[in-house]
Amino acid sequence: MQNNFILQVENITKKFGNLVAVNNVSLNVVQGEIVGLIGPNGAGKTTLFNVISGLFPPERGRVIFKGKDVTRVVPHVICKMGMSRTFQVTRAFASMSVEDAIRVGAYNRHTNKETLEIVNEVIQFCDLGKLRRRKCADLGLAALRRVELARALATEPDLLLLDEAGAGLNPSELGNLMDILKEVNREKGITLFVVEHVMQMVMGLCQRIFVLDAGELIATGAPEEISQNPRVIEAYLGKRAIR
Amino acid sequence: MDAVIQLLVNGALMGCIYALITLGLSLIFGVMNIVNFAHGDLVMISMYMAFWMGSYMGLDASLTPLITFPMLFLLGIGIYYALIDRTLRQKYVTQIAVTVGLMTFLRAVAQLAWKAQPRSLPYSLISGNFQIGSATIMTSRLISALVSVLVIVLVALFLSRTWPGRAIRAVSDDLDASSLVGVNQKATYALAFGLGSALTAIAGGMLMTFQQVDPTMGLRFGLLSWCVLALTGLGSISGLLISGIIVGCAEALAMGFWDPRARLLVVYLIFILVLWLRPRGVFGRK
Amino acid sequence: MKNLRIVSLLFLILLVLILPFFFRSNQYGMILLTTILLYGVLATAWNIIGGMAGQLDLAAGAYLGLGAFTTGTLLLRFNLTPWIGIFVGGLVAVLFAILVGLPLFRFKVKEVWYALSSSALVEVLRIAFIMWEKIGGPVERYLPNYGSALYMRFSSYIPYYYIMVILLFASLFVNYWISRSKLGYYLIALGDDEDAAEVLGVNVRSSKLKALVIYAFIVGLTGGVYACIYGFIHPNFFSSPLSTEVAILGIVGGMGITYGPLVGAVLLVSMRELLRANLGGQLESLYLVIYSVVLILIVLFRPRGITTLLQDTFNKLFSRWVRNNHAE
Repeated sequence: MQNNFILQVENITKKFGNLVAVNNVSLNVVQGEIVGLIGPNGAGKTTLFNVISGLFPPERGRVIFKGKDVTRVVPHVICKMGMSRTFQVTRAFASMSVEDAIRVGAYNRHTNKETLEIVNEVIQFCDLGKLRRRKCADLGLAALRRVELARALATEPDLLLLDEAGAGLNPSELGNLMDILKEVNREKGITLFVVEHVMQMVMGLCQRIFVLDAGELIATGAPEEISQNPRVIEAYLGKRAIR
Repeated sequence: MDAVIQLLVNGALMGCIYALITLGLSLIFGVMNIVNFAHGDLVMISMYMAFWMGSYMGLDASLTPLITFPMLFLLGIGIYYALIDRTLRQKYVTQIAVTVGLMTFLRAVAQLAWKAQPRSLPYSLISGNFQIGSATIMTSRLISALVSVLVIVLVALFLSRTWPGRAIRAVSDDLDASSLVGVNQKATYALAFGLGSALTAIAGGMLMTFQQVDPTMGLRFGLLSWCVLALTGLGSISGLLISGIIVGCAEALAMGFWDPRARLLVVYLIFILVLWLRPRGVFGRK
Repeated sequence: MKNLRIVSLLFLILLVLILPFFFRSNQYGMILLTTILLYGVLATAWNIIGGMAGQLDLAAGAYLGLGAFTTGTLLLRFNLTPWIGIFVGGLVAVLFAILVGLPLFRFKVKEVWYALSSSALVEVLRIAFIMWEKIGGPVERYLPNYGSALYMRFSSYIPYYYIMVILLFASLFVNYWISRSKLGYYLIALGDDEDAAEVLGVNVRSSKLKALVIYAFIVGLTGGVYACIYGFIHPNFFSSPLSTEVAILGIVGGMGITYGPLVGAVLLVSMRELLRANLGGQLESLYLVIYSVVLILIVLFRPRGITTLLQDTFNKLFSRWVRNNHAE
């Protein structure tokens, strides 16, 4: 690789019937950074994530991960290559305990014996020690988000897509999560790509931000630039700016 | 060629009845996303009720739906409140398990009440046949098919023109939005289950004018209607008729040209192929 | 607690092994025990695809029938002993499972549609074998060599009982082994949420296929023994009622619990058979009415399985016992 892009999205278009959910979007993510993707409801953020992680094949365009075209590669292979993600609506493995759920991720790169070590390490990292034997079905939202993050970390990714990891959390839970994410990025060197609604989180976390509106990319830049970009204010921050 | 036309005519007429049976199944599936494994057995029970009224009360089978329709409607509502309502928040496996239990129950009850041997009624007001070109048409089959189409049209009108009908459609389109506009979810579910079950009463009564009934018949009608449902997908009333006729004709052709025992084989093969290739149905909207 | 478990497990194994000595002269008792174990094996095997992977398979009869027909036909045509034939039967069932599983999982047929298509498969095979007069046909084909141990055609039920015991422990062991391996974790994960499993590196398609294949092999193997017990083969071995019952036993027993389906089979099949024996005669179907009502009630009030009820009771009793001992 001559450039240090870990992820390149080129001219992606995804339609559902007549509805164009993502329209000709191109963006790059540099190895090691934390980037954000924001936009109003229905802007196509989650759809774009689904395309990148291989769940939906796009109509047009390419997804290049670590220099390889992964546009039509199935998700579990993409995961082996080093990309994992979390979901907007938490999708816990309801019938599993926390440690078992994390172990599913750990099997991505490790054999039966080694997984225990990975699970312990991740549990400690995400501060889930007290909950490790609880069933996922019995956990609250904040804990589930951490389990989901832990499960994805256990696959040992180089790039982690986080879909609205902060939604529904109270300020202290949010601060907690941001600390963990910063540590993930700094200590493990994992590139983070976050879709976020909670502005506090995006502004505090991301070095670069992409703005999506009605399926199209309308702006790119550092948080300060984005918050002053008139198109962004119009599309997304409108009400807030007036207030 | 004549033989083919004869088979197609018979198959198409049967297909209309299959479409009617499937309409009931599809109402229930569309509204609460539950496949009722006992649906075919409700047809079987309706046929036995028609048989019973025919032989002990001297009522003609074609008229029995007047009585069995409300009975099956109440039975359906009863089943909903007693069984289905409790499983709505459970995994789909639990939901199917309950309807499979119901299927076993209905079959056992039929066996207990009517024994295993096939039963049929000696004649019906609409017996007889007539000739159109080279094809012989049984009056009872023709009238049954016409009644089925009529009922399907009536149900379609009910779903689009009346308030309870629109509530059913709203719930099957979008549960959250429908509760916002004030649709009572439970009552709508019960109504759909009752109506879906009651439709089998009409099919059962009409089938009894020219067919025999035995306790294992439910499985056949169950699989037949799933096949039509799979072919149709959800939400297309005209698609339902077309699929029903396709299945009926395929069955008739297999019976005539291959082997009488192959009739269901062909249906099941269509069913399995459709599931593999077009899991959302050929005519569906979802 | 762990010791107690091992002791009770050993006690159970011992009980299963010596049980026939109480029924030695009681032919009916032995038939009953063998039938219970047969359903126990089938439901335990079902647990792999149904309980762990969450795929509601209703095709046990298909694999059972294929195993039975392979074993029976090999014996009838080539005089091959069922001791070998049952393994060929298992392999034929596996082959069929792959043939069916590949497109099913490729096209993401799941949940209700998986259940329905597997259910239709049993009927397809039944009719196909009735029509295929060379191998099947509408009349029973009786197996030769009655009374010969070499041909697995015992004149008593006791050897069949022990064969079923072996199959049962084998399938319990397979279940246990899978549940502690990567495959087991993957199956439970994809049973809960396929997409979430997929992005964590789970190959959903191949994991499901592996589960289906293992299940089909055990059921096919059992099918061969089934043919020998009955002494004939008939297309009605491809039975939808049996297939749905196996799934129901698994659900009622407790999905995903290694010994859950076995508990379901022991309790319900013995209840069904006792009802049948005592209510037979003029009200021949009454037992099925009662049986199905009990099934429905268990599913409604214990959707996670009757085994969880037993576990809860056991835990309560155990903790009380511990408390009492501490008090002294």
